[in-house]
Amino acid sequence: MHNAYEVIPGTIYNIIQESPLIRTLQIRPEIPIEFQTGQFVELSLPGIGEGPFTPSSSHYTSEVMDITIMKTGFVTEYIHKTSIGDIVGIRGPYGSKYPLEKFHNKDILILGGGCGLAPLRSLFLTLLHDIDQYNSITFLAGAKSPKDCIYKELFSEWKKYKKVNIYRSVDIVPEGESWDEEICLVTKLLQKIKIDPKENPVIVCGPPVMMKFGTMDLLKYGYNENNIYLSMEKKMYCGFGQCRHCVIGGYYACKDGPVFTYAQIKNEEAIWE
Amino acid sequence: MLIKISDFHSFLYNLNESNNIEVVIPSLANGTENRFFFNKLNSSNNFDLGFFRTIDPSKVLFYQPRESVFPVSTGTIKRIIAGIKSCDMKSIQLLDKALINNDFVDSAYKNLRDSTYIITTDCTEIHSSCHCTLLDGKPFTESGFDLNLSPVEDYYLITIESDKGRELFELIKKKYGLLDAHESAYLEISKQRNKIIEKLVIQNEKFLPRNNDVLRSKDLSIWNEESKECIGCGACTNICPTCYCLILNDESVEKEFIKVRSYDSCQLHGYAKVAGGASPRPKMYERFRNRYLCKFDYMKKNFGEPGCVGCGRCTEACAAKIDFREVIQNISMNTLTTKQSI
Ligand SMILES: Cc1cc2nc3c(=O)[nH]c(=O)nc-3n(C[C@H](O)[C@H](O)[C@H](O)COP(=O)(O)OP(=O)(O)OC[C@H]3O[C@@H](n4cnc5c(N)ncnc54)[C@H](O)[C@@H]3O)c2cc1C
Ligand code: SF4
Ligand code: SF4
Repeated sequence: MHNAYEVIPGTIYNIIQESPLIRTLQIRPEIPIEFQTGQFVELSLPGIGEGPFTPSSSHYTSEVMDITIMKTGFVTEYIHKTSIGDIVGIRGPYGSKYPLEKFHNKDILILGGGCGLAPLRSLFLTLLHDIDQYNSITFLAGAKSPKDCIYKELFSEWKKYKKVNIYRSVDIVPEGESWDEEICLVTKLLQKIKIDPKENPVIVCGPPVMMKFGTMDLLKYGYNENNIYLSMEKKMYCGFGQCRHCVIGGYYACKDGPVFTYAQIKNEEAIWE
Repeated sequence: MLIKISDFHSFLYNLNESNNIEVVIPSLANGTENRFFFNKLNSSNNFDLGFFRTIDPSKVLFYQPRESVFPVSTGTIKRIIAGIKSCDMKSIQLLDKALINNDFVDSAYKNLRDSTYIITTDCTEIHSSCHCTLLDGKPFTESGFDLNLSPVEDYYLITIESDKGRELFELIKKKYGLLDAHESAYLEISKQRNKIIEKLVIQNEKFLPRNNDVLRSKDLSIWNEESKECIGCGACTNICPTCYCLILNDESVEKEFIKVRSYDSCQLHGYAKVAGGASPRPKMYERFRNRYLCKFDYMKKNFGEPGCVGCGRCTEACAAKIDFREVIQNISMNTLTTKQSI
């Protein structure tokens, strides 16, 4: 009988400091971990604690896994002190995935901000792998300020792909920093796109306020609530529907989510908090 | 089959003395007449398998307040727990659904479940907070147990429900003389059972049956009113036999992964707070309401049945003396009258 709390040890083989508060750990687990993009894992530091994080690498690689982590509290503070060679633990994957089969031959819109770009990076890399199957991918990415932008090199590289459109924005440009793309809230970038919203999917991930107002704007734009995919972040400990912390009405964010359509959860209470 | 009550007690004592079995019974708290706690059987405790539920919920025997879930201690010894009541049996069946399912298994819980024999007994008294009948429950078990005992005069009628129960029964049969139960014994038992049901019905006469739609009503001011006295301590969830919300911690040892789970409570402020401070239920009345919604709406969706078994422990444990039944009653009445006046 498999113990649901068992972790697979993994070695950090590289660290990318993306921004002052965000870093990407590149991990080689002792046993390859297969997952589907959109799903999440529990990452532990021995003797410290664990938390839910979404792999930011493509689901076509299982020997190594990238996890992008923002420093926000106790465990993540320690995660930001790790060095190459350190051992971490991974259990999972858990939860629902992005339904890629529904994206075939569609014009896909991806909308994300802050550390919410982590699962979207995984999605994007996975989509790129099979780019022939999709009509186009439009990625709208936001950050607070230029220095908070993550995946800097990756975005310049991704822009070179045919069928891929990328727009980026920052909320503000403080003195001494420079920025040659848009300066606005990321949801404002919707004005740039020319996608027919009727039948096409949009995937959203970011801080709660961004998710909320982003969803409202997408509905206004004409997107169907069944085609708006949200990655919900709720407090969770176990990851598989036993600790009950992530309950959203009759759903578990961990087991039935984290990927929900807006139609699924719109009538539940306090979904954005 | 019928066994003399004194014989059954000596059966328990004898098993307890063998090396690899532990017997747990409801033992009378010092200085009380009818307050029982689960305890290991020993020569000094005073026990009775009748009465009503214990003060402590049966979950503490399977889902301990703090235990390692990875790694899980092996070599769990066999246990017999006697005197579990119908409401607690139902709560164990609910925990089974939550913790041992097709997707994930809580190994620590499963070990304790697998190594335990459950002997349930009919309630012979009721506590002022008992209300199993409001939740389609009965003061005697109908499923889930291994053996059930129903008292008839100086005897227990034994009902076998499972293979484990049969195993125990074979042990009993080897050592003790058993009598065949005649129709009169069954009649007597059903008479006693009906008497207890009647007491429960009378005690809970003024309360409406549970209606989750009513509880889901969006009028929050009434919840604010109902929760005024609540101090948010979480006693109600800790004592509830079906509450199993957990916190998972890593034991602070170097270079090892040791996962420990302990009870959490949705009544506490930090319960659903995420990094950055956002919380879906920052106000006390929202958390107060969450417990009722969880029991009657969310758990019903998750498990096909409500998460309350009507044991009344939350009422008994409440520091502010809030009666669970009255809250539901007040909310229901309020919603019904508001609806009618629209
Ligand atoms: C499905 C999912 C995917 C996530 N993916 C990412 C990701 O890719 N990158 C990233 O940086 N962050 C992600 N998060 C958020 C991340 O889990 C929290 O930031 C992290 O757990 C905070 O831990 P802490 O100990 O540093 O914070 P503290 O505030 O000190 O946390 C205390 C406790 O609360 C729990 N907790 C606090 N905030 C959250 C939260 N938002 N979600 C769940 N548990 C929380 C922690 O596990 C910890 O046990 C994700 C959350 C979820 C639910
Ligand atoms: S609630 Fe019902 S089953 Fe539970 S102890 Fe009271 S009478 Fe017995
Ligand atoms: S909610 Fe109260 S009455 Fe219902 S099972 Fe829990 S403790 Fe017993």
